[in-house]
Amino acid sequence: MIITGKTLPRRTFLRGAGAAIALPFLDSMFPAMAALGRRVAPPVRLAFMYVPNGIDMKNWNIEQEGAFSAPFPRVMKPLEPFRNDMLQLGNLTHNSGRALLDGAGDHGRCSGSYLTGIQVKKTTVDIKASISCDQIIANKIGQETRFASLELGMDDARQAGDCDSGYSCAYTNNLAWRSETQPLPPILDPRVLFERLFGTGVVLSPEETDRQALYRRSILDFVVNDTKKLQTSLGPTDRRKLDEYLSSIREVERQLEKAEKDSVALNPGLEKPYGVPPDFAEHFKLMTDMLLIAFQADLTRVVTFMMTREGTSRSYREIGIADGHHPCTHHQGKPDLMEKVTQINEYHTKQLAGFLERMKSSAEGDSNLLDNSMIVYGAGLSDGNRHLHEDLPTLLIGRGGNYVRPGRRVIYRKETPMCNFHLTLMDRMGVPTEYFGDGSGPLDPASLT
Amino acid sequence: MQARGPAPRPPIGVAFDGDLGHRIDAVLAVAMLNGFAAKGEARRIALSISRPNLKAAQVADVLSRFYAGRPVSATAGGVGQASEGMIGMPEGPVAGDDPATLTAILSKKADDGTAVYSSSITQLRDTAENAVLVRNMLLAQNDANAIVVLAGPATGLARVLALYGSRPQIVAKAKLLVVAAGAFPSGSPELSIKSDVAAARKLFAEWPAPLVAVGSEVGAALPYPGASIETDFAWAPAHPVADAYRASKTMPYDAAASALAATLHAVHPDDGYFKLSEPGTITVLDDGRTRFTPGAGERDGRHRYLIVDPAQTDRIVQLYKDLVSAKPAPRPGRRGGAE
Repeated sequence: MIITGKTLPRRTFLRGAGAAIALPFLDSMFPAMAALGRRVAPPVRLAFMYVPNGIDMKNWNIEQEGAFSAPFPRVMKPLEPFRNDMLQLGNLTHNSGRALLDGAGDHGRCSGSYLTGIQVKKTTVDIKASISCDQIIANKIGQETRFASLELGMDDARQAGDCDSGYSCAYTNNLAWRSETQPLPPILDPRVLFERLFGTGVVLSPEETDRQALYRRSILDFVVNDTKKLQTSLGPTDRRKLDEYLSSIREVERQLEKAEKDSVALNPGLEKPYGVPPDFAEHFKLMTDMLLIAFQADLTRVVTFMMTREGTSRSYREIGIADGHHPCTHHQGKPDLMEKVTQINEYHTKQLAGFLERMKSSAEGDSNLLDNSMIVYGAGLSDGNRHLHEDLPTLLIGRGGNYVRPGRRVIYRKETPMCNFHLTLMDRMGVPTEYFGDGSGPLDPASLT
Repeated sequence: MQARGPAPRPPIGVAFDGDLGHRIDAVLAVAMLNGFAAKGEARRIALSISRPNLKAAQVADVLSRFYAGRPVSATAGGVGQASEGMIGMPEGPVAGDDPATLTAILSKKADDGTAVYSSSITQLRDTAENAVLVRNMLLAQNDANAIVVLAGPATGLARVLALYGSRPQIVAKAKLLVVAAGAFPSGSPELSIKSDVAAARKLFAEWPAPLVAVGSEVGAALPYPGASIETDFAWAPAHPVADAYRASKTMPYDAAASALAATLHAVHPDDGYFKLSEPGTITVLDDGRTRFTPGAGERDGRHRYLIVDPAQTDRIVQLYKDLVSAKPAPRPGRRGGAE
């Protein structure tokens, strides 16, 4: 760490053996502006959080257009505390997810097209999609952060094989595509994510790795000298911010250690990476805690998060559902299965609410991290039973840096391309793009602002 | 065991865009498409109106429901494609005029005061932008197995051309665009073109596939017989097409019907109902008149116009009556209009 004069560079790292911790926004990074009573606007972050197999639309869609007035329906209920932080968008459609003569395989198509906006090639061998909108953004603004983008997931990152009626698993298991043939597999293992965020990229020998694991210390121990040095140069407000931030990293470490112990103790035969917690909520919290830190420290501004892979048949024993998610969604109107789908959807939004709470509690200048972000939460199918690709469930959460006017239900015209939404997001992220996928043009700005 | 061959090619798909408010022949053409569907000769793959008018969209929805023989959902029902009940409408300020054709249908009441015809469309968001709808529906068709018929201003259809990547898709999917507008080889400016000259000019100049124009002279030479309205539609206690026809003008009258000629030619281009001009180029002049220039020209001679064959007149008018007054087509399979 090198501190020159009174200004703390935005790209300051606390360094130690094998560790490099980026810092959150601190007032001392902008002393001149602070002296003038003006603040530098924090960057806008964008995250796509994807849930598979559609959503119970009867318990999702808010009937009334305009400002939220009625209580939220059941699946949205956990998000009530954030009703003034989000827009619920209606009628966005992915035509390229539809069969269009390619037959069965709606799950493979819907996730493949979700951020790429095109009809993916039906194949298990020579995969072909298109660069995804998050990567278009990352290519343009990614040089401003340590990671151009982060790809996260929680379920399955297989890249080969047939995952849906002739569609490669590359389509169902990835959201981000660097090019038309190169998906970006999500990181599933919290430990891997932790090392990626806070490691230096130095490759340790197996012996060194074992030794580090045996005598594992907090990553904060490795950067203690830099931390002390920095603390002496900070004012009281920044010192408090730094303490809170480092505590949050330590908390993630504790969760990781616990998860690793539980993972071995509870599921010795489980085919999951060492550090993946067996419990969905615990896994989600770990991943999103690190996502939050990545945003907070401006390690990246673009994240895709596949909560579970499209078409997943994961069960949710955590909430007493032993049946697979996907089979439940093909309920054919059977009330018991429909109820299970609703419960799974509700469980997901509960987890989301926890993440949003943490985002909102993370102060950033006069606002908070959520205000300076755009979190898109949604699915590539609406009705999972019928495999419908219209009226895709979509939330835009956060204000995108004083851009979005939340607290409303916005319903667009039928068949409005989802790609129009992507065009709008790209524009807001500073990457105006004339054409994307099957988009017919950005959404009416007045509908969002 | 017998090997299973490729699935049979479905009948031609027709995307119809018409001015239901100002052209009774556009209403008749929707009925004619039902007649073709009932005979298994064509599928209506998209229905859109060519002026931004909510009442026209509602009437399109009424017709769609009437011919489906059941309520059709515009929100869900699309398996493999946009849903059958979706109605397209151009972007733009919604027209304030209420042509009698539309109000006659929408305000018709039963003895108990309830509406005879119902529509699920109440606001703009209940419709789709017709350019997107037409593009999306074309993409769901086999190559060269779709035809687009326009019987109204080109406002919405011209915008299809502005959609990124749409031109090669049009070339692949739509083997023909039939435009019921203009006058050929020359004549007065015609309403559909005058209503949006810029869009018509763009459509004729840039549509990348073959185009056949059906001028007002064809419509005048082959009108729909008004007498048919009083006799051939009696099978339905209330028939929206008959009601629209009666409201459009003082009865009795025979309606000029270039939209019917356009639709007939679209479905049966090779059956000798009409003659075709030599290849050439149609341009739209500033005052809304159309001009046909024979030869390859700028557009490679992709344009032709329809010519009435007097020998076919009786046969055609009888066919008009049979098709337009046909009962709803049997309900299609689960995949509806999808190929």
